Amino acid sequence: MTRIADDHKGTSHLLMGNEAIARGALEAGVSVAAGYPGTPSSEIISTLAKVPKEHNLYVEWSTNEKVAMEVAAAASFAGLRSMCVLKQNGVNVAADFLLHLSGSGTRGGIIIVPCDDPGALSSINEGESRHFARLLEIPLLEPGNFQEAKDMTKWAFELSEEIRNLVMVRSVTRLSHASGNVIFGELPKEAPRAFFKHDGFILDPMEGIVVSVPVSYRHGQQHEKLKKSIEIFETSPFNIYTGPDNPELLIITASVCDLYTREAVHILGLQDRVGVLKLGTTWPLPPKLMEKVMGRTDKILIIEEVIPFLEENVKILASELAPKIGIKTFFGKRDGSLPMAGELNPDLIISVLVKIFSMRYESMPSSYAEKAETYALKAAPARDLTFCPGCPHRASFWSIHNVLKMDNQEGFVCGDIGCYSLATLPTGFMSLKTMHSMGSGTGVASGFGKLDQFGMEQPILSVCGDSTFFHSVMPALVNAVHHKSNITVVVLDNSGTAMTGFQPHPGLKVDARGNEAPNIDIQAVCEAIGAKVKTSDPFDFDGTQKALFDLLEDKEGVKVLILKQICALSPEKKEKKMFEMSVNIEECLGQSCGCNRLCTRIFRCPGLVWDKDNQTARIDEAICTGCGVCANICPSGAIKKEEVA
Amino acid sequence: MQISGSNELVEQILKNDLCVACGACVGLCPYFKVYRGKVAMTFPCDLTQGRCYAYCPKTEVDYDNLSQTFYGKPYQGSALGEYRRIAASRAGDKMISGPFQNGGTVSALMTLALKTGMIDAAVLTDSDGLIPVPRLITKEEEVVQCASAKYVASPTLSCVNKGVEEGYDRIGVVGTPCQMTAVAQMKCNLLDKADFKDPIAFTVGLFCTWALDFRTFVDFLSDRLDLSTICSMDIPPPPAEVLIVKTADKDIEIPLSDIRPLVLKGCSVCPDMTAEWADVSVGAYEGKPGWNTLIIRSEKGEVMVDEAVKEGFLIVDELPALNLAHLIQGADGKKRRARENIEKAAAGNDSERNKQPAVTENWKMSSFQ
Amino acid sequence: MEKTKLSFDPFNLIITGVGGQGNVMASRVLGNMLSHKGFHITIGETFGASQRGGSVMSHVRVSSASSLSPQIARGQAHMIIALEPIEAIRVLMTYGNPEVNVLCNIRPIHPVGVISGELDYPSLEDAKAYVTELSKSAWFVNATDRAMEQMGNPIFGNIILLGALAGTNLLPLDRDDFKMIIQGDMTQDKVKINLDAYDMGMEMVKG
Repeated sequence: MTRIADDHKGTSHLLMGNEAIARGALEAGVSVAAGYPGTPSSEIISTLAKVPKEHNLYVEWSTNEKVAMEVAAAASFAGLRSMCVLKQNGVNVAADFLLHLSGSGTRGGIIIVPCDDPGALSSINEGESRHFARLLEIPLLEPGNFQEAKDMTKWAFELSEEIRNLVMVRSVTRLSHASGNVIFGELPKEAPRAFFKHDGFILDPMEGIVVSVPVSYRHGQQHEKLKKSIEIFETSPFNIYTGPDNPELLIITASVCDLYTREAVHILGLQDRVGVLKLGTTWPLPPKLMEKVMGRTDKILIIEEVIPFLEENVKILASELAPKIGIKTFFGKRDGSLPMAGELNPDLIISVLVKIFSMRYESMPSSYAEKAETYALKAAPARDLTFCPGCPHRASFWSIHNVLKMDNQEGFVCGDIGCYSLATLPTGFMSLKTMHSMGSGTGVASGFGKLDQFGMEQPILSVCGDSTFFHSVMPALVNAVHHKSNITVVVLDNSGTAMTGFQPHPGLKVDARGNEAPNIDIQAVCEAIGAKVKTSDPFDFDGTQKALFDLLEDKEGVKVLILKQICALSPEKKEKKMFEMSVNIEECLGQSCGCNRLCTRIFRCPGLVWDKDNQTARIDEAICTGCGVCANICPSGAIKKEEVA
Repeated sequence: MQISGSNELVEQILKNDLCVACGACVGLCPYFKVYRGKVAMTFPCDLTQGRCYAYCPKTEVDYDNLSQTFYGKPYQGSALGEYRRIAASRAGDKMISGPFQNGGTVSALMTLALKTGMIDAAVLTDSDGLIPVPRLITKEEEVVQCASAKYVASPTLSCVNKGVEEGYDRIGVVGTPCQMTAVAQMKCNLLDKADFKDPIAFTVGLFCTWALDFRTFVDFLSDRLDLSTICSMDIPPPPAEVLIVKTADKDIEIPLSDIRPLVLKGCSVCPDMTAEWADVSVGAYEGKPGWNTLIIRSEKGEVMVDEAVKEGFLIVDELPALNLAHLIQGADGKKRRARENIEKAAAGNDSERNKQPAVTENWKMSSFQ
Repeated sequence: MEKTKLSFDPFNLIITGVGGQGNVMASRVLGNMLSHKGFHITIGETFGASQRGGSVMSHVRVSSASSLSPQIARGQAHMIIALEPIEAIRVLMTYGNPEVNVLCNIRPIHPVGVISGELDYPSLEDAKAYVTELSKSAWFVNATDRAMEQMGNPIFGNIILLGALAGTNLLPLDRDDFKMIIQGDMTQDKVKINLDAYDMGMEMVKG
């Protein structure tokens, strides 16, 4: 499809929001891009990583978001344009550095691009990066469509250089992962050179040292820059009002909510009664523009997702401007018109508008709706999330579950974020009993492991992925070893950052751009830290369970079990089945005593289905990936595997 | 009598700590497993009836049914159960010698049973240091390796299930009274399966007053000595009241009063000292080391003993009346204590931890008359 | 680029299926084909965790004017392409209306709750009957099985359905555009097999 780094100036291309952001960065002449994979942000770095080598770019998947931000900052200090890309949680990880960076100021244009996930479509929280902009006192830009995703990204670099500080460009899942038409601009021709000036006057922002002290001086400078950005925002073309001169209702919105709002207004035919102010620069708000637009009406509805960030900032301005614009009636989250949690969509906005305007609206004929609902209830059983067919995690948790049950001391597993988070569900035999941020499984386990002096005797396990190991497990492991915490850490090494699309990490021999890279060996790291380490193939149940039992019996200090088996979605595995699987229905015990459908009732690989009519398990050839694992769980040996030549 | 499924087994037995880890439920299906002497259910099973429940010696046992099946009459509840005769015995000259705890009667009978083809496999309990290891053997010479007292609960019957799985259909089993009760239930087709076949050809029961919980016993001992140095264990006859742990360089005596708290809770409600449901039962001969007490119960047991004597595998002598009286006294004592413990639990005057709501429902008081 | 007229403007199409069925690829190829015809395309989709065995939906919106909401409003679909039959019913519940058209692959993928026995999967006859009753017209094709038989890989089911969509003539789709778009990303033999799948789909609807 579209080659993102081809010039094509003036032509229209169908781009994913993340690709549009990447294109915007290229048009701005970005030199360095760093990030840590996280849905929905990952495709920005992946796209830039694929840009041909003649465009002298440096792109990396960093060990974690804080490091990514630091890598990008260095480029800015050396006068280059750079960016850091992360999902909402990543901003938390980078926050400590960010607070110092906004204090020290920057040189070459630098932007941070967090992609938030309202509705937590692929997250375990609805965290918000917007309030970080306020906390860090840096400008916040929110593209409202695909063209803006490109154009605002490009502009953000210019703004950053104008104010000599970081600029945040915030996207959300429904923009990052949606696609729309984008008209390309020009790609820059010059190749910038990097040089870090550090011998000038100490307080010179472009030639002195890059530090946040003296704090009150630099902080004051930062506020001067913020004032400058407000001036720029007053006339920004990304803040657009559409609607009648004096609407009955003014909607203030931003980001993808603008598209939902326009859809809702259009469906209800309210174009002549409702005005929409779409803001692209959402913090700090430009007061003159706001005064002008809010002065048009008495009723204001603020539409945004999750926390009432825009709403609160608008209300602060509105109270300051009250002598000029009068007292307004507000609708939004704080009065309950819109929910505080979950993502929005056109229907939610339709229902708010219908209420405000006392209208009637039927989205589908009621007889149809009733019938459709009845049929769906009857014939569309829910689809719970599950590990993919052939996923090594299913095998790993099978062993972990069995060992903990057999060990019979109410041992438990602390987890964190990755595909293996699904082990809170039946697909992972509900093995995870705590689940928080990246790497927190091992940190929490380290704490549990010190509770023996309060009488806690339960065995304590943690799990982490290979990418997560480098991201944030290592400090927790060091902590556990140093404090002699009696825990067993299971590293589920599937050779990639699998959940987000199989990006490389420091444990692999390849980097983001496909170049050969020195790999860091997890086992060697763990041993150097002082843990006892065993390695096993999770598809080998006997070996894995033996290793786990051995480690659990060892009550001294930190043990690590590395379960190594490549992800079923990896390019290597996707191509080829290892085994052709089949079920011998004569031997299948089915529901009788002695089996009771272990494979389909408990193991639940999507590649194995229960044939109700014949009362036997069956392989679904369209789904089965031929990993062969289920043959090892069948108590009667009815599941057969035959090696594919 | 109601035969339930695994959920009831877990609720009534495992959760009430009444499991004695006999191993009868282990290996029947993918769900019951044993590790370090403790039985666990790894995943729930929703069948309403299961062999796990039917075989378990700690769920309600229908003694009348067992007695009707094996002896053609209702259960009498006498101290030693049904038997044909009681004798003293020891291994004969034809039997190879081994590290027998007493007279080697059990080894002699199992060796001969394998030799004559009466059984095609034997299920015994070997040990790895302190850990009892259930074994399924098919060669005569392997029998004597398993000859030693364990005092620790062993999931030996898991090997019966393994033997059936592997296609053996004339299995010989050596086990404790609870294990013999389970085996008797395995032989009864309690679930009325059309294709049922009794896979067990010969059983030898071992006298037993209690067994220790493996895990707590290991913890107890490891506080006192290096486990890897243990050679064997013995409890000499009264009035010694000690457990002797023999290590490479010395014998360590542990008072039985220290050991008793480690006895499995399930043992305290066991009414059977002499393995009433075995073909023959074997125990120590009080005051005569190197000999056994032998109770011959079934016709098959009698044939087997006669054959063993004829072939020179076994020497049989009379058991003095005083020994018999002591045996009856001991067996009666176990029945009485079991009854008292059950009543105590039922009355709820025990500590919270020892509450056994399941017990009253699951034990027939008539069993102890 | 000449613009053909759309039967509805915007034309709202939903491609639904189960994670791993090639839903995202189908929506992008379709979007590019129509974008090449000069339309404004908006595609809304989710991936990530939601893909692991869950239902996956792509909202494809074709407009002569501008980018639109990446989420279609309730009851506003004109066309539904279901890579899995019960997903058609699920989508109809929210986005259907008496005028909607449905193109449905009949190969079931059992949800994990059905595999475990906690939920029931409908008979194919029932599923077809419900889809038919909830739509103006419905086409049922056996794309997965045909893909396995002819192409040796069930993944081509999505391209067969794209071909079938072209066969319905509800959208202005060109085989040449399809070829041009996949050529950019694929080797010659892959292009050939994809074209075969596309053609097979067209035939299945026409025949």
